[in-house]
Amino acid sequence: MAVVDKAGPRKDARSFSEILNDERYRSVFYQVIVALAVIWTANYLITNTAENLQARGMSAGFGFLGSTAGFSIAWSIIDYEAGDTYFDVYLVGIANTLIVSFFAIIATTFFGFIVGVMRLSKNFLVSKLASAFVEVMRNVPLLLHILFWFTLSAALPSPRDKENQIALFDSVFLNNRGLYVPAPVPGEGFNIVVIMALIGIAAAYGVSVWAKKRQLDTGQKFPAFWTGVGLIIGLPLVAFVALGSPLSFDYPSLQGFNFQGGADVPRAFCALLFALVLYHTVFMAEAVRAGILSVSHGQTEASYSLGLKPSWTLRLVVIPQAMRAVVPPMISNWMNVVKNSSLAIAIGYPDLVAVFMQTSLNQSGHAIEIVAMVMLFYMTVSLTISAALNYYNKIVQIKER
Amino acid sequence: MTDATQSDTAFRPKPSLPPPANTVGAVGWLRKNLFGGPVDTILTVVSLYLVYLIVQFAIEYGIINAIWSADTYRECLDINRGEGACWAGIGVWFNSMMYGRYPDEEQWRVNLGGIILLLWLIPFWLPKITGKIQIGMSAVLTFPFLGAALFLGGEFGIFLHVMASVALTLFAAVWLHVATTYVFGRSLAELLVSATGFAGKDDRLHKYVLLGAFGVGFVLSLVYLGSWDLVEIPTTIWGGLFLTLVISGIGIASALPNGILLALGRRSKMPVIRVFCTAFIELFRSVPLITILFMAVTMMPLFLPVELNPPKLAMVIVAVCIFAAAYMAETVRGGLQAVNKGQYEAAQAMGLNFWKMMALIVMPQALKLMIPNIVGSFMGLMKDTTLVSIIGLYDILLMGKAAGQNPNWLGFHTEPLLFTAMFFFVLCFAMSKYSQHLERTIGGGYGRR
Repeated sequence: MAVVDKAGPRKDARSFSEILNDERYRSVFYQVIVALAVIWTANYLITNTAENLQARGMSAGFGFLGSTAGFSIAWSIIDYEAGDTYFDVYLVGIANTLIVSFFAIIATTFFGFIVGVMRLSKNFLVSKLASAFVEVMRNVPLLLHILFWFTLSAALPSPRDKENQIALFDSVFLNNRGLYVPAPVPGEGFNIVVIMALIGIAAAYGVSVWAKKRQLDTGQKFPAFWTGVGLIIGLPLVAFVALGSPLSFDYPSLQGFNFQGGADVPRAFCALLFALVLYHTVFMAEAVRAGILSVSHGQTEASYSLGLKPSWTLRLVVIPQAMRAVVPPMISNWMNVVKNSSLAIAIGYPDLVAVFMQTSLNQSGHAIEIVAMVMLFYMTVSLTISAALNYYNKIVQIKER
Repeated sequence: MTDATQSDTAFRPKPSLPPPANTVGAVGWLRKNLFGGPVDTILTVVSLYLVYLIVQFAIEYGIINAIWSADTYRECLDINRGEGACWAGIGVWFNSMMYGRYPDEEQWRVNLGGIILLLWLIPFWLPKITGKIQIGMSAVLTFPFLGAALFLGGEFGIFLHVMASVALTLFAAVWLHVATTYVFGRSLAELLVSATGFAGKDDRLHKYVLLGAFGVGFVLSLVYLGSWDLVEIPTTIWGGLFLTLVISGIGIASALPNGILLALGRRSKMPVIRVFCTAFIELFRSVPLITILFMAVTMMPLFLPVELNPPKLAMVIVAVCIFAAAYMAETVRGGLQAVNKGQYEAAQAMGLNFWKMMALIVMPQALKLMIPNIVGSFMGLMKDTTLVSIIGLYDILLMGKAAGQNPNWLGFHTEPLLFTAMFFFVLCFAMSKYSQHLERTIGGGYGRR
């Protein structure tokens, strides 16, 4: 048995194992081993890659980004046509990924709150229905959801099938080609309306800061929320009316075999969005439910005993504490939405992975560069979101010793 | 006399009235839970209508209008015009969806492998058995080799031969252990030691008996496995549920050990190790699995020497293991953080070294706390395994899709998807219920009650 030597390791006649077990050197020793192992592996991989590339007569580097991509993309939110560069393809992919994630995140958050509250409902049937929805949706793989809804959406009426057409106000059409909506066409002076809206937002923020300061100083409350809403909606509305409604809509209309005009999203977009929302709503709902349950009933009772009315109790006591538990899983759920939108590739929606990691990679063969660029995008999104999350956590954390 | 007055004036409560009829029994339950007020009533009626619609559709589509025997999809459509399911197709394609293109006459090997694994794990649920952790570790660490030898067949190399023999020996030992425990009431190790007359000798000598017994078993298995003459089935024709379970099984089995190592590395005080582990975890957690899979199949051939040329399945399994380990690491780290600092300090004060502290004090508590999350990530991995269909491995999903491209079954898409969905639902739902059970039984001492 080793006896702890207060004077430290002996200076004379140290065997190798003694040095190894000395606290001062041990961690250095292991770190050097690990570092060497990693460096050796990296070197091995790089050497192999260089040899393989040479054998295939390929060159590494990002030069290919400037060359022409000879394929077209089925649908894109930003302008693209065959003949643009691979870098344009990258941007198109990013834009398509972000647009579907954006809508999915908004819908997921909205429905997640509804389902989460439904699960807590005192109504037996409502809460059981919500639980059944949650269990069914989350125990089925997302890819299956996507393929299922995409398969089903093929059974939607075709654009020419006037009798069975699914239309809303004769301006929004859903058929087996996709979803067609009126496209806003900004007229002359519309940018003034936009500027007024921005001014409204800034003013609303100013008012809320001022109102909070005044309440802290004098104790008097000011209806900052409704003033803000009035400013944000009112200012652009006044400008809009004053300028004579400088906004018109381009309605889609059936011409020949398909709809023309308006804005459209392909069927794959709709199926992907629907599946993403169904699947992720459930995780959102679970986060909301757990968050609300995490606020103990004593908080509500204490708030009542202080004389706060129920609506204030909810707004000032319960929700802020529930949000502390809801926001982190909610944001990681958003992150998962962005990541999972990459499954679009299974149904041919041209997202980043589909257009860049599959089509461009097959065409150009620059596997390493392309995989690195795609990973870089997802990492940027994730790290940005998690940085924001860490910041939020730091703010709301309960301060302990 | 005094008695009478006392009894007259003494407080004698009347028996309580029964509660109002509409607050107890079925009526009370209905009023409380379904018709508490006007809003509640509206909600109830709407929900009832919704339930009615769903149930009615499910019965009509799945049972009344469904076709149970047909030879082609057209036959189904001719009878029910697509208003009901064509379950006949599932019957026709069932074998493909289970085994992929694994030859019919060799499918017993897959079944046998599955049965061995199940038998290996059964002792977990037997109450008297000791050494469950060792049994579990032996299954997780060595079964994959036995499975590989069995499923691949052909001339497996010397490494696989040795490892599969180890696995077979351990499997036999596990069941001998179960038998001795139930027949003689003693564990296999005790019995071996006393049978060879070592019981009276120094405890340190006992391990030689066990090693000797293991050696005998090992040689026997080595010879037995050498006598195997199985047709080689390349991984390219593995498929269906079998392939799904192979990939997710290896992913799940490797996730916990790798995740624990990564989590410990991330919390390590050694900066080099911490940086590498953190970078690994953050990199693979922040990208979607599909990009890791693409990376595996497009970049790994570049990274490795040409002559190695690993099969696609091996590359996919590596990718899934990396992904699973990165996710598990964060789950384990959460558990480690939740263990009270006093536990670490107490363990150190007892003089335990780092690995003993982790294995005996910290990990058991951390893992128990994290049971729901660990099972949750296993379920997530199971579901994510379906992604391998995107890069062209014929798992259960892609086999189902292939059914709809067969000339006789053109357009047969919905039913395979529904069948697969039901399958995953049952599997994952059972897993989550089991995790809740575990949480109540073995995790109960720590969580909130």
